[in-house]
Amino acid sequence: MSFDLAFMLQIFPDMVRAFWLSVQISVITVVISVCMGIILTAARLLGGNIARYSIIGFVEFTRGAPPLVHISIIYFLLPEFGIVFNEFWTGVVALSLIGAGYSVEIFRGAIDAVSFSQLDAAKALGLSRLQSFRLVLLPQAYRLSLPPLTNELANVIKATSLLSVISVNELTKVANDLIFVHFVVVEVIIQLTVLYLVIVGLLMLLSKHLEARLKF
Amino acid sequence: MDFIFIMEQMPRLLPGLMLTIQLSLIGFLIATILGVPFGIIRAYQISPYLSFSIDFYVFVVRGTPILVQIYAAYFLLPLAGIKLSPFWIGIVALSFNSAGYQIEITRAAIQSIEKGQYEGAFSLGLGKIRTLISIVFPQAFLRMLPPMANEMSNLIKASSVLSVITVFELHKAANAIISDSFKFLEMLFAQAVLYVAFVVLMTQFSIYLEKRIGTKLQIKNFSQR
Repeated sequence: MSFDLAFMLQIFPDMVRAFWLSVQISVITVVISVCMGIILTAARLLGGNIARYSIIGFVEFTRGAPPLVHISIIYFLLPEFGIVFNEFWTGVVALSLIGAGYSVEIFRGAIDAVSFSQLDAAKALGLSRLQSFRLVLLPQAYRLSLPPLTNELANVIKATSLLSVISVNELTKVANDLIFVHFVVVEVIIQLTVLYLVIVGLLMLLSKHLEARLKF
Repeated sequence: MDFIFIMEQMPRLLPGLMLTIQLSLIGFLIATILGVPFGIIRAYQISPYLSFSIDFYVFVVRGTPILVQIYAAYFLLPLAGIKLSPFWIGIVALSFNSAGYQIEITRAAIQSIEKGQYEGAFSLGLGKIRTLISIVFPQAFLRMLPPMANEMSNLIKASSVLSVITVFELHKAANAIISDSFKFLEMLFAQAVLYVAFVVLMTQFSIYLEKRIGTKLQIKNFSQR
């Protein structure tokens, strides 16, 4: 295996452009899935039976089937109902749904882990239900949910690579195309790996930073 | 939804499911054989170089998508002179991936065993290896089961990605049917149901194991007292 540094520099601009697209998808997806996760968790914990069971069903479905299947469902089925996205937004919608499903479970677990006596104490202090939720439960649950949430968001970021199957020009797709155009494998795969490690590593650093700030 | 069509296509889907089951079970087994010993080595910090290289391996596995790992196996193995069928390339990629996660699971489980257990074992005159085998590992094994079940379900889902290197597993089989019948809804529904069924089966199996081993360990502790 010979190693061609000049070739690595030659493909670098293409890879960085694709990297940027992957970062965009990841950031949009992460924001949407965390927001959706919070809303759905609130609905699951505070809402009625219908809301609860439909959210449980949604969570089971997102956790039970592979992301590739979710992506195909959004890609093939939504146009049948007249909802047409371009590939980029198809990918964002599919990944956001997956991310939301996982984060509901994480948030619910974290809120359950905060003990009941905390709520009793809040009630004894005369806080209303919403106040105790906002001021007592959420800050503690936030801290507990951060490590598993980081893991999950890293998974969502890695799942962006699957969008290559619906021809989103993200990092893996571009790398794959470069392999087939130039028949150079090692250089491309090394760059691909390093670029993914950069995204995921940045996320891990961010979460470590947040966690360190939240320790009390 | 056309259920009769789904039933008609079952003979084409079920071989795909069989392949998915084989891929995930063999991949998981190989990953366990590699991952658990290295996880133990990492937990005991036998040598700093070994710990560092295991950490680096885990970082790479957890930091890159499974698709990239599959492409790497698909393109790099032939370059290294190893020619395998897509099925076995898939096994290599899946076990490479899963071993990384299983190392982490084993390490975390072993490190979560309290110090008192070691002290108790040493005061009873057990050696280091004997302590690991009969005191620490059985308890760690119980704690490993839930995350291992998680890992198993992740692996099953990851096996769907092998469709890109033409392994004819469930997702690929369903896609093939979609592309010659254009019945998206039926095939997506059928494969989702099959995946969920297999995942639920495996997680239930782990819950059963957890209960059984849990009671067994307690009985042992009770009779030893």
